[in-house]
Amino acid sequence: MDTAIKLLEHSGFAGLQWSNWVMFAVAGILIYLAVKKNFEPLLLIPIGFGTLLANLPLAEMDAHGNGIIALIYDAGVKTELLPPIVFLGIGALIDFRPLLGRPITFLLGAAAQLGIIVAALCAAYILGFTPKEAASIGIIGGADGPTSIFLASQLAPHLLGPIAVAAYSYMALVPIIQPPILRMLTTHKERAIDMPQAKPVSKTAVLLFPIVCGIIASLGVPSSAPLIGMLMFGNLLREVTATERLRRTAGGALVDIVSMFLGLVVGATMDGASFLRPQTLMILVLGAVAFSFSTAGGILFAKLLNLFLPEGKRVNPCIGAAGVSAVPMAARVVQQFVSKETEGRVNPLMPAMGPNVAGVIGSAVAAGVFLTLLL
Amino acid sequence: MEPLGLLTICVSALISVFLLLSLLALVMRLILALFPVPVQVTDSAIVAAIVSAAQRLYPGTTVTKVEEVK
Repeated sequence: MDTAIKLLEHSGFAGLQWSNWVMFAVAGILIYLAVKKNFEPLLLIPIGFGTLLANLPLAEMDAHGNGIIALIYDAGVKTELLPPIVFLGIGALIDFRPLLGRPITFLLGAAAQLGIIVAALCAAYILGFTPKEAASIGIIGGADGPTSIFLASQLAPHLLGPIAVAAYSYMALVPIIQPPILRMLTTHKERAIDMPQAKPVSKTAVLLFPIVCGIIASLGVPSSAPLIGMLMFGNLLREVTATERLRRTAGGALVDIVSMFLGLVVGATMDGASFLRPQTLMILVLGAVAFSFSTAGGILFAKLLNLFLPEGKRVNPCIGAAGVSAVPMAARVVQQFVSKETEGRVNPLMPAMGPNVAGVIGSAVAAGVFLTLLL
Repeated sequence: MEPLGLLTICVSALISVFLLLSLLALVMRLILALFPVPVQVTDSAIVAAIVSAAQRLYPGTTVTKVEEVK
């Protein structure tokens, strides 16, 4: 009997605290959202399960212990290894032709990074976060999970869990967040602007883009090279016909394996002690601020551009909202919104893909600047 | 670092993003101008239609060249 009691006393059950139970509930909510609502299931399931594992007393399955998850965290996140590999896969999946056919949409991708700045300033000025923490929180506005993890793991590793959860949750909530902002900032006439077909892009230009972009962005902001370099490498694999096998691996098995481990270790950073703090709630609110201002930044800049563009070359300002990255969901949301508002007459999916993929580059550059100036 | 420092950093980040993406846009415009899509002289479907029409009108005719004049 004594042995049984002793065994029970040394089991995880005896070590369970109220914070563990709350975190089990948080993990349950994440898994529920992924399974039932289909909110970013490929990320929220690993994050949710990682959260469960991190809150099992004595199991050593959190990111900061001595177990296997800590090993993956130390080798894959602290070293900045895993997010760039996800970018390699993203590069292999993204078609940059809609952007290259309309180079002006590069600017919409830049404007839609406004939320990063607004959220970072709110975090520092209003809520008292340190500059490093504020920048890590602001990057949620880039709507790019790997970029958020990449930056937060360097500048504010203690906030990695809430930041990653906010980034992926809001990415899944783009269909809910963006339409009211689109409706508020555009007129019916603007929504009905039917953009002409983009210029056709030659195979040579498509092949040169990843090489040129990789060089220019990495020279301009070297800290962004791990992200943009790998993104462009993946894209080159996609466009070179002879590397079809590598493209399939990078955009399929590799990105799946890495996303799985990345999600798991990010979830494993969310132990009760570090997650159940007022800062987590603040980060979630700031994430919403970041997304909203990024959306507004893209739309308003498109309207500004229209003041200078001749009739017939004007852009539908709604496509500016797609500049928040979240590829391709933000572009789809814009297309569905415009299509609904114009009763199916205007469907700007391809025009919206331009700023959408430009936003991926834009948020990586912003993260690089933060790293350069804050690390 | 004081919040003023962060303001400077944020403004720098936004300006950097704009400058870099503008530069990329300009370079890509240049590349697109240097390497335009090769103009396909005649669509193969159009050629097939012309050959078919010519052979119907003049049986036994062989179409050796189709030229588009704009």
